Amino acid sequence: MATRKKSLLKVIILGDSSVGKTSLMNQYVNKRFSNQYKATIGADFCTKEVVVNDRVVTMQIWDTAGQERFQSLGVAFYRGADCCVLVYDVTAPNSFKNLDSWRDEFLIQASPRDPEHFPFVVLGNKVDLDNRQVSTRRAQQWCQSKNDIPYYETSAKEGINVEMAFQTIAKNALEQEAEAEVINDFPDQIILNSQNNRPGNPDNCQC
Amino acid sequence: MWIEPKELLLPSTFWIAEMYSRYFVLQKRRGHGESRGFGSMLVGTYDSVWNTKPAPYRIVHRTPSSEVSYEIAIGITQDEIAQDWEWLQANLFNVLNEMENEDEVTNFTICKIKSLYTQNNQDETGETADFKVMTSQFRKTFKMPEEERLVNSYSATYVKNKIPRQGQLYISLNHVCFYSYMLGHEIKRIIRFAELEDISRNANTIYLKTTNNMTYNFTLIFNAGEAHLLIEQLNKMAIQQLIQDPESPVVDHDPSNFARLGTKTSKKPVLLRDLTARQKSEEFRIYFRLPQTEIIDGKIKANIWTPYSKRFNAGYIYLSPNFFCFRSDVKDLVSVVIPMKTIKSVEKKDDGQQRFDNQIVIITSENVPFMFAQIVAREVLISKITDLLSRIHVPVSRERAKYDISWSKQTALMNTFKTQFSAEIIRNQEEKMVRWEAHFRDFGRGIGMFRTTDVINLIVEGIPDQLRQEIWLIFSGAIHDKEMNPGLYEDLVEKAACIKDCFAHDEIDRDLPRSLPEHPAFQSTDGIGALRRVLQAYALRNPQVGYCQAMNIVSSVFLLFCDEENAFWMLASLCENLLPDYYKDKVVGAQIDQGVLNELVETHLADLHEHLEQLGVIKMISISWFLTIFMSVISYESSLHILDCFFYEGAKIIFMVALQIIEWNRDKLLKCQDDGEAMLVLQNYLEGIYNPDYQVPPSTDKRKMERSQTQTVQTLIHEAYTKFGEELTQQRIEELRNKHRRLTMRQFDVDNEKTIVKAYLQNPYFDRNELHMLLTIIREEKHALKSMQQQQKTQCSLSETPQLLMHQSPTKVPNEPIPCGGGNGRHEAYCVNYEVFHTLFTELTPWRKCVSVDIGEKLFRLTDKKGTGYLDFGQLINALGLVCSGKSMEKLKLLFVLHLPPLLSKAEIERSRRPRPRTKDDAEEAFEAEDFFDDDASESMEALPSPSDHQFDADDYALISATQHLHNLAGISGNTFMDLSRNTPNLSLNSNTSSLAQRNSTFYVDLPTGAFPGTTTATRSDAGRDDDGQEIGLRQQGRYESIDTFSDISDLGAARMTPPLGATAGAASATAAAAAAAAADKMLLNVETISNFSQISDLVAATRLDRADSNATDSRSLGSLGYLLDQPDEGASGSRQTIPHLRKENFQLLWRSIIEIMGCVQDEEMRMAYDNLLELGNSNIKKEPSLESFTQLNLGGSGDEQPDSNGNPTTPAAEHSSTTRLFVALEEELREASGKATNSSRDSSSSTNTSEAWHISINQFIATVLTVNSIVEGFQTPIQITEQIEQLQKKRRKCLSTNY
Repeated sequence: MATRKKSLLKVIILGDSSVGKTSLMNQYVNKRFSNQYKATIGADFCTKEVVVNDRVVTMQIWDTAGQERFQSLGVAFYRGADCCVLVYDVTAPNSFKNLDSWRDEFLIQASPRDPEHFPFVVLGNKVDLDNRQVSTRRAQQWCQSKNDIPYYETSAKEGINVEMAFQTIAKNALEQEAEAEVINDFPDQIILNSQNNRPGNPDNCQC
Repeated sequence: MWIEPKELLLPSTFWIAEMYSRYFVLQKRRGHGESRGFGSMLVGTYDSVWNTKPAPYRIVHRTPSSEVSYEIAIGITQDEIAQDWEWLQANLFNVLNEMENEDEVTNFTICKIKSLYTQNNQDETGETADFKVMTSQFRKTFKMPEEERLVNSYSATYVKNKIPRQGQLYISLNHVCFYSYMLGHEIKRIIRFAELEDISRNANTIYLKTTNNMTYNFTLIFNAGEAHLLIEQLNKMAIQQLIQDPESPVVDHDPSNFARLGTKTSKKPVLLRDLTARQKSEEFRIYFRLPQTEIIDGKIKANIWTPYSKRFNAGYIYLSPNFFCFRSDVKDLVSVVIPMKTIKSVEKKDDGQQRFDNQIVIITSENVPFMFAQIVAREVLISKITDLLSRIHVPVSRERAKYDISWSKQTALMNTFKTQFSAEIIRNQEEKMVRWEAHFRDFGRGIGMFRTTDVINLIVEGIPDQLRQEIWLIFSGAIHDKEMNPGLYEDLVEKAACIKDCFAHDEIDRDLPRSLPEHPAFQSTDGIGALRRVLQAYALRNPQVGYCQAMNIVSSVFLLFCDEENAFWMLASLCENLLPDYYKDKVVGAQIDQGVLNELVETHLADLHEHLEQLGVIKMISISWFLTIFMSVISYESSLHILDCFFYEGAKIIFMVALQIIEWNRDKLLKCQDDGEAMLVLQNYLEGIYNPDYQVPPSTDKRKMERSQTQTVQTLIHEAYTKFGEELTQQRIEELRNKHRRLTMRQFDVDNEKTIVKAYLQNPYFDRNELHMLLTIIREEKHALKSMQQQQKTQCSLSETPQLLMHQSPTKVPNEPIPCGGGNGRHEAYCVNYEVFHTLFTELTPWRKCVSVDIGEKLFRLTDKKGTGYLDFGQLINALGLVCSGKSMEKLKLLFVLHLPPLLSKAEIERSRRPRPRTKDDAEEAFEAEDFFDDDASESMEALPSPSDHQFDADDYALISATQHLHNLAGISGNTFMDLSRNTPNLSLNSNTSSLAQRNSTFYVDLPTGAFPGTTTATRSDAGRDDDGQEIGLRQQGRYESIDTFSDISDLGAARMTPPLGATAGAASATAAAAAAAAADKMLLNVETISNFSQISDLVAATRLDRADSNATDSRSLGSLGYLLDQPDEGASGSRQTIPHLRKENFQLLWRSIIEIMGCVQDEEMRMAYDNLLELGNSNIKKEPSLESFTQLNLGGSGDEQPDSNGNPTTPAAEHSSTTRLFVALEEELREASGKATNSSRDSSSSTNTSEAWHISINQFIATVLTVNSIVEGFQTPIQITEQIEQLQKKRRKCLSTNY
């Protein structure tokens, strides 16, 4: 059955303006850090091939604009996402506070099938800086309260934890994908079977 | 009103004579009166079909022997015509009677009337009498308020169900209306401009489609084009009003600018002429890139002499207050802009051969001559120019001392941070310079240059770096704004520097290093500093835009080539003229243009469109193309060339280039399977675009060399011009923008509604569909109300000026405050104020039948717990939902609560009661007396102490000082408060308003239910809305400040409660209160003025009730009423809540309300229940008026959480002691009061005591009522809200009821 699975993962990066979304993406995809990124207008886009659970999948990473007035444009990007990465800046408490609204906004706009278990990953970025203001404990608490979202502290500049975080993202996205397909397959199956006049096909069980 | 005398041959057909004299008849039109005879029906049809628009009254002059009569006066009302008749009686009758010759009589009369007519018309608005009649008919037919101004009306056919109906199409500022009257069958239609979703025209038929999918088509035999354009224009204005945040005018539009200088008279209505002029002015401004304030004054046909081609070119001269422009008939052949202030002289040239050529020569201050010939009306032109020149106002550039010496204006950064170009590039630049110099020699330089196709060719090649500033400034029009506002930039920079803790500034600071990081200039403090100043200054100039990402990118490019101040003005012109609404909330302008691009792709690249649409790519990728003019997607060296063209062509170039980019990648895009692939294709292509003119040495730009270069920007631009340049015109773009502005705004609404529905899907009352309907109706009602108010404002500010104000008049209704939280202010659009709530309540719920008590108003106050004057959508559905549901028990409880004081105060009962002593059977009587009670909310609210009641001055002072005391305690000085108000730009800071605001702030400290004055002011009158809005805003600020800081809030609350009660207290005690108030003890003094114990107990209890929590299981609890009274999820302390008992008067009203809601005569069972209840109440008297329960209640209160107050851990002991103090005072008060009870009561004294003591509890009430089958049944029937809403919408459409 594995061959039938889509080998494309759509990942959305959300978070306040200038928390380092673009840098994280580029660090992960190009293994490079530059302090010369322009503010993202609209959205940016990268792909990367990754190996997860011995499978090669293409990860589509969508980097979005952080400013609030661009949020209404987000809908176009959110659709069909497999995983959502919430980024905040450990030196900017506000960007941490806003995680809530980013998460809610995503859930409302993307309307995933199972909002409770949709895979999120939270990244606290810029840990290389000295003036840290959001404690690890606080962030972890928040993540736990939201159905145990995996949490990583990263530095796009130093490349700390970026690889690992994105591995988790890919893994979780893939799981979501699998689950989604289980749900997805049933209606399709009925149509297929109705042509064959067979009420059920045990071969198509995903479990 | 007198009219130009008109000859009539059939003086009496269709008319009925009302008054005669020897020479005059006063007639009334048939079909206008009450009579419904066949004759009047026929006349009505005739009038409607032939559009004769006669006034209902007229005076006809005739002489006995003559065949001919003259119509000399018409009147819209009987009074009006009677006035004219009286004038005739007083002035003419005698004179005429003395005349002998009939001809003489006629001549004299006509002469007299003519002079009267001209005399009267001079001081009128310039409308013709016909138009006035039309307007009045329009208002009457559609029940439009005075403020709704008619623009024009057209004879039209409306086809419905294939049956054509001939009638009149009225177009007013906010509505398209249709009226037809065919043999007794009347049709009315009202369509608001803001609700139009589609407008199209096919030959003579105009199709309209509204947002709730109603379609209309009107066929106009004449003027279909004009009507269509008018509808488009007014719709555009309506939609723009939605986009505009009316609170903050972008540019100060001086209404006096709209006073046109033209003297041409025309038969068209003033407003129509004005709108046409406005339309023309807009085209004119866009074409010549003039400031928004320029209004076209007129155009005159003429030929211009172009020295470079040595010939005359035909075209038009356009005049506006500050500019003299010329545009050739042949597109783009030549155009000229000459600022009036540079005109040195205007000469007629009549010598030699040119004697009959009507030539003039204009010489500018730079001694450049412009020669015009064949001017159609040379004398008019010259006198107009003279006139305009005499009015011209040249802003004096103020050489002022700089307050802040820490900065100086940065010059173009490219001079400081020179890029090392290769010799080839430098040579290339020099060559370009030479060509430009040559061009300047031939065509002139500066603003007044001849703008021809030659200059476009030069621009497409790229402007040399040295000239960019000059050319950009001229072609963007920024130079005009700059010259008109000398010194403004410095002011803004310095003001902005003083603003601390501003969100926009934080955002700007974050983005400074992320603007053009690849350029060394923006790695230095000079560049960063200049960019910061420009962006901050602009955020201050235009708060509606503030700062939007993307502005940093374009501004940094401006700064490279322009001086700081010029860069600022270019940014201003970008945001305000060139890319309208692009950087506002939701980047709405850019989204609209995305829609336009999508449609252009559909027309020009049809095969690609479907595919791209499926992928959804255009929406994803193009937003940055528009917002940064490609600067964020292609290298900035390449984007410079697009920018060069952009200033000349406007947004058109963005569309052209975008289409070209898609077209170029056609094959690759067609192969793409998903959005990501398509994005990559376009991304790679865009990154590969390069500019050989700036090919920087490879060492610094390794990255770019790695990528494959796809195309030079020159080719891209060139191809774009060849392929799409011809077909894309500014006009076409504007038309498409109009269409997509509608669609985009509609889409926003749809998205919003979807999201809100999702959020409230869990509510217990409505399903998805019903929620959608509710949101729709709220939106519609709010729009209707808003446009009306806006117009009222405009009217006030303009008084007699006939011109309407556009969307940016400085005196606008302040935007409604945002009381409701929620993501992105999404929900705030659906908050309802009292007016809207009341309409919804009366139109949608079954309780509208209750007329003696304004339940809607009570429910609003009950639901609006925080006293914001607004209900959010959640509160609204809980309130309406319960009333419409079939939960009989809860509904009865709610009704009970609504009849409790302070919701139903004693004053109201007094008012609603007949002013005579009541008998035992008073309730019965009251039912009969229904006609006495009015259901006018405003009136019953006026019964409450309004802030303007002079007898409350004393309390005002007490409260103000209490507020100040509060603020002092909270560490906030009065100044802070004033600061807050100063930040609201429109606030009229007279002492009255601010003191009101302050007072309100105290009220809302913790007392939701007791807060009368706030509610009163917020809803009291339509007229005072402006102030109210501000008050509400202030009140909130005040409230939040105090809430978080105050501890002994509960007893303050009690003290605050008292003023409303004081309303019922005698004048004597009010004075006592005043004296005591001066004595400054705020806590207790007001309590002492209370003469009625039970009232305060009710009040306190009611306050408690407000904090009630829904988890209580006791039968006395409010059950699901908790939704109304508190957020369902709030608090879980499980404390018992107490609903106070109802007193007799209130109970009687309650009973009446029930009967009214049931809408039937009370049957035997009900009568019995009523008697039972009365009896129960009587038996309750025997119990002690429970001071005991009162204490209990408060003891309970002191212990538990009070979410409404602040959740501040108050020290229970202190609170307790303060409450006890209150009780002691009360007890004394009670004793005193009982001593002189007979004196203080107003009613028949004997019944007072019993009626005061009479009370009934909610349990008793519910238990009794539930035994009555008819009531239970009546209350159990749920109401289908959808049907109600559909009915309301239908009624609105057909003008059966209006909300004005």
